[in-house]
Amino acid sequence: MGWLALGLGVALAAAGARLLAGYPRPASRYRRLTAPEAAIVAALADAAFPPGGAIEPSGCEAGVPGYVDRWLDALPSRNRLLIRLLLFLIEHATLLFPGPGLDGWRRFTALRPEQRVAALRGWARSRMHPRRVVFTSLRAILTMAYLGSPTVLRRVGLAPLAIPTPIGDADLLYPRVGASRASIPFGPDDRTSPSDGTPLDPRGPVHPDYAEPSP
Amino acid sequence: MSDPRSGPGELRVFADYQRDFADAADVVVVGSGPCGAVAAKELACAGRRVILLEEGPPLTPPDFELDGGLSMARTMREGGLRFTRGTPLATMQAVALGGGSLVNSAICARAPDFVLDEWCRDHDLERTTRADLDPHYDAVEKELGIGPTPADVLGARNLLFKRACDALGYSSEPMPRNVRGCRGSGECFTGCRSRAKQSMDLAYVPAALRAGARVLTSVQVREVLVEGRRAVGVGGRVVAPFSGRPGPAFRVRARAVVLAAGCMATPVLLRRSGELGNGSRQVGENLQFHPGVGVAGVFPEPVDPIFGATQGYQSLQFVEDGFKLETLWAPPGVLAVRTPGFGLELKERLAALPRTAVWDAIVSCRRSRGRVRPRRRSLDPVLSWHFHPEDVARAAHALHVLAELFFAAGALRVQPGVHGLPDEIDSPAALERLRRHPIRAQDLVWASTHAFGSTRMHGDPRHGVVDEGGRCHHAEGLWILDTGIFPLSPGVNPMLTGMALARRGARALAEAL
Repeated sequence: MGWLALGLGVALAAAGARLLAGYPRPASRYRRLTAPEAAIVAALADAAFPPGGAIEPSGCEAGVPGYVDRWLDALPSRNRLLIRLLLFLIEHATLLFPGPGLDGWRRFTALRPEQRVAALRGWARSRMHPRRVVFTSLRAILTMAYLGSPTVLRRVGLAPLAIPTPIGDADLLYPRVGASRASIPFGPDDRTSPSDGTPLDPRGPVHPDYAEPSP
Repeated sequence: MSDPRSGPGELRVFADYQRDFADAADVVVVGSGPCGAVAAKELACAGRRVILLEEGPPLTPPDFELDGGLSMARTMREGGLRFTRGTPLATMQAVALGGGSLVNSAICARAPDFVLDEWCRDHDLERTTRADLDPHYDAVEKELGIGPTPADVLGARNLLFKRACDALGYSSEPMPRNVRGCRGSGECFTGCRSRAKQSMDLAYVPAALRAGARVLTSVQVREVLVEGRRAVGVGGRVVAPFSGRPGPAFRVRARAVVLAAGCMATPVLLRRSGELGNGSRQVGENLQFHPGVGVAGVFPEPVDPIFGATQGYQSLQFVEDGFKLETLWAPPGVLAVRTPGFGLELKERLAALPRTAVWDAIVSCRRSRGRVRPRRRSLDPVLSWHFHPEDVARAAHALHVLAELFFAAGALRVQPGVHGLPDEIDSPAALERLRRHPIRAQDLVWASTHAFGSTRMHGDPRHGVVDEGGRCHHAEGLWILDTGIFPLSPGVNPMLTGMALARRGARALAEAL
């Protein structure tokens, strides 16, 4: 009985260590991502978008973990939980689908970069449809986050353009989201001509939020 | 020029609600999307006292989030992460004043004759004919300035599609859209910063206000109030924008209740309201989609995809075969989620996005069906849907046609997105492999923003939820005027047909009151 209890204790300690121990403190403060989740997202980001190649910044340099944190914050709680479970699954599914090598059973964030890529390729090319769905969901999140970076969008040439917005009747009716109608800054005399359909210049200035930061 | 705030109508936003409230009207309309907004305007113009309820807030251009993922998280129910069970299919439902019209690509297409003939023939309908609906189509088109996309804002993405269709001898045409003064920003999905798209918050809702309607935003309807077999109003809670945090309770009593909450929400409301109107057991059944097949093609020259109408060209060549071809653009982070590969390979493909166009096909499914059920302790639905192999074959045909079109337009390579095939096909000769590949539903990633059928109209009350005017067969005082009443696929984009049916139903309701 004593040996059984000892064995159970060791197994629980090992499981606890695998689940919780050894995660680095995140480089940034996040609203939603826990330290383990931030580490998982960072590992995934640099596996999906390693340094170098056709677009310079890596996933982490492009701020993928920060984007995922903002995105999680905007999601309803149920969907946020599902995304958390997805991250948890990727981190610990190496127990069932290990990376290459004798040490491929370690959790995803403990794998070497080439093992991480191999583990993810296993998800992508699996004959099991649910595994491919998991991978597709994961890559969708990472790609969305990578292309959410103004730096990446500028490099690719797809940063949103600066577009002047006409002021019309609707702008006199609706306040900013969450504000009172008394805060509407426009009156009848502020209305401008509606859009005349002049085509935008795709080489024109980009939206200020996406512009190159001034030195 | 007059001040739009001086009219007889009234608009309320979240900041206006301090405590529980009750109200009354002749008609309460639930949902301010294309169908609900049209219904509210028509009823108000007919002199009825109308209250239009919308769960989401009005969004102004400074509120628009340019990033696709973050925008969807804020403007879509379930953060834009709604999926069906059965065959996984991503689908969406907007939550904002104007509903889906705020974040769709403004495509307006009349249902073809053969569709209306089929609807009438198979569902005991007599007045859903070309002759009956055309006056309503005409009126909506005039109100919204619907017309073909102007040539100077098409951009290369759309013109390459035209070139491809011409080369293969397929018919094609500039997309008819509800826009005035489009500048080709390609930002329809995150809100039109040019204020060119005539979304409902800019068009029909202000028109309803001018006609005296009252528009209450940030109010979530949770039940239809019932006395006996009669709907007598609705009740719910004020909800904070984006977070959905519940606030004061409200009730609106009315002589008639119009549900236009969308085909994924209206059945949930009815089922949560004691199975209201469900004498035929058809509420929530017959859910149908237009699953989309997207194919990307990489060209040798820049395509400048950020310029050009979001979806500016279409081909109706194969509509009677069950699919419609369109051009497509979306925020890069959303569009690229299907880009194949990983690591440096994926980076290389993303770097080629400025030379990439994406075209898609929407597939009319004749055999695939699903259903809508309420989720416990939630207003979100549980959706199930199964893609029938016959319809998958139709989608596979569409996929092959799209790939052919890309090579006809001069693409270097095509990304078909099919599991079991190479990530990229780099020659027209290799298309044969795509044509012969036995595609199964689980080999592709599916998405659809077109949903209908879950409260279908039918001439026989035993088989449908509403009649041709949207009046509920099995409850008094209740009308349903959203795309849920379509008996079958409209063959093309559903918004305009939904609005035409809503206009017809609202005018009939106004007369009946």
